[in-house]
Amino acid sequence: MSAGDDAARPIPHRLDRTLADVADRLQRVTVQIRGPYGAMGSGVIWAAAGLILTNAHVVRGPSAVVLSTGQRFDARLLARDPEADLAALAIGAGGLPAAVTGDARALRAGEIVLAVGHPLGIDSAVTAGVVHAAPRGPARFIESDLALLPGNSGGPLADARGRVVGINAMISGGLALAVPEHRVARFLGALRDRMATPA
Amino acid sequence: MNSLLSLSNDLASAVEHAARAIVTVNARPRLPSTGVHWRPGIVVTADHTVRTDEEVTITRPDGRTAPAALAGRDPGTDLAVLRITDADLPLADVADPAALKVGQMVLALGYGPRASWGVVSALGGRWRTWRGGEIDQLVRLDLTLYPGFSGGPLIDVAGRVVGISTSGLSRQHELAIPASTVTRVAAELCESGRVSRGFLGVGLHAVRLPEAARRSTTGGSEIGLIVVSLEPDGPAARAGLLLGDVLVAIDGQPVTGADDLQATVASRRAGSALAATVLRGGTPVDIAITLGERPSRRR
Repeated sequence: MSAGDDAARPIPHRLDRTLADVADRLQRVTVQIRGPYGAMGSGVIWAAAGLILTNAHVVRGPSAVVLSTGQRFDARLLARDPEADLAALAIGAGGLPAAVTGDARALRAGEIVLAVGHPLGIDSAVTAGVVHAAPRGPARFIESDLALLPGNSGGPLADARGRVVGINAMISGGLALAVPEHRVARFLGALRDRMATPA
Repeated sequence: MNSLLSLSNDLASAVEHAARAIVTVNARPRLPSTGVHWRPGIVVTADHTVRTDEEVTITRPDGRTAPAALAGRDPGTDLAVLRITDADLPLADVADPAALKVGQMVLALGYGPRASWGVVSALGGRWRTWRGGEIDQLVRLDLTLYPGFSGGPLIDVAGRVVGISTSGLSRQHELAIPASTVTRVAAELCESGRVSRGFLGVGLHAVRLPEAARRSTTGGSEIGLIVVSLEPDGPAARAGLLLGDVLVAIDGQPVTGADDLQATVASRRAGSALAATVLRGGTPVDIAITLGERPSRRR
């Protein structure tokens, strides 16, 4: 379909389709984290070479990663930081669809955000809402008015462009709290430093 | 730009636009509430969030705190107005009150600003709150009103204020008081400090009228309201109403129930006249009652 066709469509149709497109792309970068006793939560493909990001509280033992394609891989724990509620896993796969990250510090109150995850064992559910308050200073979490459920933990929070701005971590007082992407970057930076240092 | 992104930008801009006229209302312990600069020098907030009649302050969007004087409150509609001396605080952009539609996208805002997104889930006609106030339109929302949101604006995607949201009028539903009601009540509160509600000073109980009694009344109403208590020296007692009188008509209109009568009386101002028809010993008697002021309850 050409751009001209798109412009001629009534706006609600275009909105609907964009929403579906963005949700679809997000679903492909979202994985399910499984533990010895079943589904534990969600995760995000952070790098095409098999780097998966999730919450520390999701990874509590040997775990496996199930891609949106249904492929299942045993995961190796690279790092876990309960303070930041982040964990990095490696799987033996390459050429994966990786998340494109956005800028969590530029979020405005009222901006649309989407979450994808596997709440209560439901396969890849999409939830839409808005940023509750603009992040100020070194905010620990991004607050949004999304109605998330257990199992959304570790999944992506994305902006209207589909860029991942955070990792959903918890629900508090009816608000969804996500670890902002810049904290993920810091966590991964520390991980890289540690791996580069000879033991 | 994709249409989702443009909607997202519109929503964020709407929040920014409306937030300029939002203040934090510091009028109760622990949890502040939200207020809207409704007309020059007048901030509207939710009455149930104003606990202290003294030392109320507001905090502007830029963080400056200024004193505010409680100019009036109406527990009936859960609205209170505060007078501020701040001349340069922007005014809320109040939308056409009739424009609300079911399914319309709206945002509720709290001080900060903080935002909550949803749609208008149901609209209804004029209704009476459990505290006796009259609201022009029932506006039900499917969004979450977070702590401190009461008294804050409900805005459309253009950032215009369509109402004031409050959790003080319903336990089951998230509601907003439409802008037209806010404007009306705010004007009355600014003028007299309260909303005048008529008061009869009687306790009534609905009874079925016997066939014979029905024939003797105008309109042939099937029910009457028997006077079971009288406020000593209340408006009804002063007009000569007696215990055991059966109220059958008001201004020539048959009564339909105690709640309806209560609504009729409360919608009139104190001092207005009411022509009551009662059955006394089976005989219709006309009694003119001058409504009193509803006594304010202890808060």
